Amino acid sequence: MTDPALLVALPLVASALPALLALVRERLGWPLAVATLLAQTALALAVAGRVLREGRVVTDLGGVPAPYGIRLVVDGLAAPFVVLVAVAGLAVLAYTRVGGPRSGPFYSLYLLLVAGATGVCVTADVFNLYVFLEISGLAAYGLVASGGRGSAALAALRYLLVGTVGASLYLFGVGFLYVATGTLSMARLASVVASGSADPTLVLAGVALVSVGLAVKMALYPVHGWKPVAYGAAPAGVAAVLAALISTVAAYALARLLLGVLSVRFLRLYPVVETLLVAGGGASVLAGSLLALRARAVTDLLAYSSVVQFGVVVLGVAAATPASVAGAVVQLVGHAVMKAGLFLAAGVLAASYGVETIEEYGGLAERAPVTSAAVAVLAVGLIGLPPTVGFAGKLYVAVGAAAAGAWLSVALVVVSTLLSLVYFGRLLQRMYVDPPSGAAGDDSGAASLGMRGSVVAAAAAAVGLGLTAAALERVLAPTLEVLL
Amino acid sequence: MTASWLPAVAVGLPFAAVVPIYLSRTRPNLREAWTFLAGAGAFVAVAATVSPVLDGARLTAATGVSYLGVPLALSVDPFGALFGLLAATLWPVTSLYSVGYVRRLDEHAQTRYFAAFAASVGSTLGVAFAANLLTLFVFYELLTVATYPLVVHEESAEARDAAAKYVAYTLSGGAALLAGLVLLSVAAGSLSFVPGGLDGLATDPTLARAAFGLLIVGFGVKAAVVPVHGWLPSAMVAPTPVSGLLHAVAVVKSGAFGLGRVFMYLYGPDAVRELGVAAPVVGAAVLTMLGGGVLALRAESIKGALAYSTVSQLSYIVLGFALAAPTAAFGALLHIPAHAFMKITLFFAAGAVSVETGAKSIRKLPGLARRLPVTLAAFAVAAAGLAGFPPVAGFVSKWYLVLGALRSDLPLTAAAFLLAGTLKLLLFWPMVAAAFFEEPPRSIGRSGASEAAADAASLPDGGAHGDVDARGGRALDSLVAESSPALLVPVALAVAGALLLGLVPERLPFWDLARAVVAEVFA
Repeated sequence: MTDPALLVALPLVASALPALLALVRERLGWPLAVATLLAQTALALAVAGRVLREGRVVTDLGGVPAPYGIRLVVDGLAAPFVVLVAVAGLAVLAYTRVGGPRSGPFYSLYLLLVAGATGVCVTADVFNLYVFLEISGLAAYGLVASGGRGSAALAALRYLLVGTVGASLYLFGVGFLYVATGTLSMARLASVVASGSADPTLVLAGVALVSVGLAVKMALYPVHGWKPVAYGAAPAGVAAVLAALISTVAAYALARLLLGVLSVRFLRLYPVVETLLVAGGGASVLAGSLLALRARAVTDLLAYSSVVQFGVVVLGVAAATPASVAGAVVQLVGHAVMKAGLFLAAGVLAASYGVETIEEYGGLAERAPVTSAAVAVLAVGLIGLPPTVGFAGKLYVAVGAAAAGAWLSVALVVVSTLLSLVYFGRLLQRMYVDPPSGAAGDDSGAASLGMRGSVVAAAAAAVGLGLTAAALERVLAPTLEVLL
Repeated sequence: MTASWLPAVAVGLPFAAVVPIYLSRTRPNLREAWTFLAGAGAFVAVAATVSPVLDGARLTAATGVSYLGVPLALSVDPFGALFGLLAATLWPVTSLYSVGYVRRLDEHAQTRYFAAFAASVGSTLGVAFAANLLTLFVFYELLTVATYPLVVHEESAEARDAAAKYVAYTLSGGAALLAGLVLLSVAAGSLSFVPGGLDGLATDPTLARAAFGLLIVGFGVKAAVVPVHGWLPSAMVAPTPVSGLLHAVAVVKSGAFGLGRVFMYLYGPDAVRELGVAAPVVGAAVLTMLGGGVLALRAESIKGALAYSTVSQLSYIVLGFALAAPTAAFGALLHIPAHAFMKITLFFAAGAVSVETGAKSIRKLPGLARRLPVTLAAFAVAAAGLAGFPPVAGFVSKWYLVLGALRSDLPLTAAAFLLAGTLKLLLFWPMVAAAFFEEPPRSIGRSGASEAAADAASLPDGGAHGDVDARGGRALDSLVAESSPALLVPVALAVAGALLLGLVPERLPFWDLARAVVAEVFA
């Protein structure tokens, strides 16, 4: 039962059911999604366990070997993301049961998103990666629109336009790579590129297009515009699951392509790739921070903070040392947990007190002490203070970048910490020290135990992952040794 | 390396106390009992480490958590034991004072106050017992987070600004520290504390220098070295016990302690000399000693003067370490407890004065010794110590600092110590003289200033105690009436500590621990 194919097949098949069953009974979607993702989580853990024992797990769909069949591979780099997608998907369900949306079609899209995101993590083929990216993308557009408001539809449309451009750029780049190497399989691509028989100009052009396409999905500056709009318009549960999964798997794909397909040797041979990555990551860190400083709505603040965090991830990938890549993975997993938790917290607070802007958060700590404490822990984690997972991620990236002599990246990581202190500090000071703004209503019963529990669980996970970062490091170590 | 529970107990107890303190928030006496219980436990645990450490054992407790192969672990060496013992000794004393202070003033948010206080002490002990720079960094940052609620305690606009400034300074320092830690791990391949310094720093001098600079800035912020001292005077908006323990002892000393770790246990005297990195630190420390001393003269409030005096005094320690010579380092190590006892006496006394009479400004001091003789006597003794007079603690440490400076490569720095001592005299003598030898402002109406009238109005508001004074007569009565025991006993204990450190320094464990540090670093 530890076949990676099931990881994609299970949520994909199950995604058809909630919409159909909704014709019978509207409320069947949630239990079905929970059952599916419980099974998915168990499966993901089982596969990850096998990866730990065997190094990597490979399967050819239908027994048809590559290059004709579809090959799926889970190695040490993919395993944390497979588990993350399943667990995050499951955890956010605790919020949506009461927090909504509750319709059958919503849960169909939700499971489709999980299927697509998992597919991105396990595929061993650059074209199939595009397919899975689009599956998850289309589901995401639909989910954003599920907010039901007019602004949600508009945000979804904007997200769809930008996202499709990104996916198309990616596909365009895959075309270049195919022309240069004659293959779409990641393993074959890697060996052809390594042999030097491919035209480097074509390969570089392909890589550039693929990277820009994925940068759109990751919302790096300056192609970040969809993110605050989409997160702001989407229901909190959707924003949380999107923040946890969409950009995360795109960043995973970037790391996979740069390190697994191109190889570090190629990157060292053409330092322009690293230069551009550092430029993109650095621009995201600085511009994202400045935008976050100016943000007024809490969801905008969170969205811009994501731009910064993904900038740090890119810096970690660009440095391409074991520590920096491990840091990028820790950062991605940690960011997913913490940002999802913060979006859920924002949802809880919006449902209970009707607050949406930083201004309106004044004095909330007195009225919602538990949720506020969770927000404080999560924000401190995103700032990168110990002992949270955010600290571990930034430390690893900084140490790894320093080992590679990438001093600019080290400085950018430190600067990102400093600036995040300012914008998250502003939020926390508002909540804890400033007097109530008076604009807030009070309907503290609106948030269910599950909604608040999911926020607290995220905060606990942020600390727990921070203390066990070394375990994640161990999972990654054998794979990174091969890749780097 | 001996596995031991003691360091984990010492660091863990104050943190663990946060939970019962919070849970018993409706019953103040029970709540405070937890603080004292944890304080007593932590003190016993720390005290128990002293004699094995002096015998050469290194009591170590691992957490099982590690980052990039660097474990988060606690380990007690003589330097850590010296600082830990100081913090664990002063915490219960300060807690007693805190109880008297916040209850007398009927402060709000007392539970948050005591919980944050416990967490701050736990962080300080973590800084003291950190086995490597990474662990130290973790507790150093926790200390910032835990002290924030204490600085912002009053929740006034001024307190909010001061707390924001405090966090901005200290967390920026933390970022510099993180960067320095990253560079050092690349330069030396290790973050462990090794007496006499890590090997292999000379292979890449530029990197080693950059790391050094960042570490110095990172620790320098909390040690309030000019030009990154600005947070300290503002943070005096905090309640007086907080200013006393945290901003004269725990926070600033954590910075000074970190600098000591950098100079003696990461780089070591040899590497400091080879890399030629000490000079800027010496310059900044001298500038801080003198600049802080001068700025203190301009302060209007008692706590402001004490704050700038702290800025100045902390750089005694910094300069002692930066001279990278055994005698100077010995003096710096002695000055850590010496300054702590003297400064906490001054803060306690200043707090008692403000609680009992409402006087916060230096202008309101005249004649106050009649109302608060014990408190101001303690104040006078501690002030004399800070100026360097025997038989107070400050004399002994300064003796070794001056001697060490004369024996170092930079003998002229001895003059800086003497000059800074003179500035302390200029600062404190008028305050002490006013309190003891001047008439209360009611009878100095000749000054004609409107403030004098305001002072006179606010001065005799000792309430019932004022009546006792008016009744005059018996000394015992006036002693009891001076203030509540919870305020007076800590003042007496602190000043007794300062005197013992000056009279019989070699009988106290700080002396042996400081000698052990010097022996292992300059071996």
